[in-house]
Amino acid sequence: MDQSEIDALLTGGGKSPKKAKPAAKAPAPEAVSAPPSPPVPVAQAEPHQDGSGHVISELDTVTSVTERESNKVMDQLDQISRLVSRQQQLITEIMSHEGAQAPGVQKAIHEVMSASKEIQDNVFEAMDLMQFQDITRQKLERIVHHLRQIHDYIVDLLGTGLKSDTERPSISHTIAQTGTTPDENKAHADAVIEAFKTQKKG
Amino acid sequence: MKILIVDDSSTMRRIIINTLSRIGYTDVVEGENGKSGLEKLGQGGVEMIITDWNMPEMDGLEFVKTVRVQNPAIPILMVTTNAAKEDIVEALQAGVNNYVVKPFTPDTLKEKIESLLG
Repeated sequence: MDQSEIDALLTGGGKSPKKAKPAAKAPAPEAVSAPPSPPVPVAQAEPHQDGSGHVISELDTVTSVTERESNKVMDQLDQISRLVSRQQQLITEIMSHEGAQAPGVQKAIHEVMSASKEIQDNVFEAMDLMQFQDITRQKLERIVHHLRQIHDYIVDLLGTGLKSDTERPSISHTIAQTGTTPDENKAHADAVIEAFKTQKKG
Repeated sequence: MKILIVDDSSTMRRIIINTLSRIGYTDVVEGENGKSGLEKLGQGGVEMIITDWNMPEMDGLEFVKTVRVQNPAIPILMVTTNAAKEDIVEALQAGVNNYVVKPFTPDTLKEKIESLLG
């Protein structure tokens, strides 16, 4: 969903979307330019004979769009990472030049190197945090699972209609409690593994 | 060392590949579910497997059980959101050597891989 669609929703959906404001700042010429985003596929708005099927299809669209957009973020992070590596390589080359041996220049170079490493660390951390996409996807899959159960129950109750038959991924029964804090379940998992190994040895 | 990563989320596969490259493992093959994982494994050369659990077509547990019939020795690390005690035990009984619950830190993945490789 782009900004104009969000604006249209906020204004009641009937009004024309507001015109996007011009960007406050033009990007610096050396900045990494992102490729233009392809149009986001929007789920079928037509009424569906099976209401749950329509909702499931919309959730599937949300999942595929977030996965695609997450990969675009990853592409940008990869690009930043490559540029920082190149920068570090160039600084290393500069350090060996005769003119760079002055103490003031050396100090400045070390500061640039240190900042560069910090950027690289932050880029890696941002990449790791993208795990939220998979966790969100699995939370949606759990919702789909419940919707299908309700749908099949109603089909049974009414004695008419088709039951869900499309194969879906298995679901995590603990995903509802899963947060986005890395390693929040590490100690618990490690304790279970340890107990299993001890029991197996005994 | 060639590592097979099996996960239906392309974002998650990228995160794992990225973490592996930072700790020195760059030879990686990918599968998007158990079925494609088995195909990649059949092509040979894989020395370690990192697999998700919840995937379409063939889930991680079925994948691990199938692999273990053919290959009892290959190290398998399961990386999943399934955090229940019974899930972890079921995976270990199926033949998983170690287990990581998502979301994880790169340090945890590194620690688990190193412990599997001895």
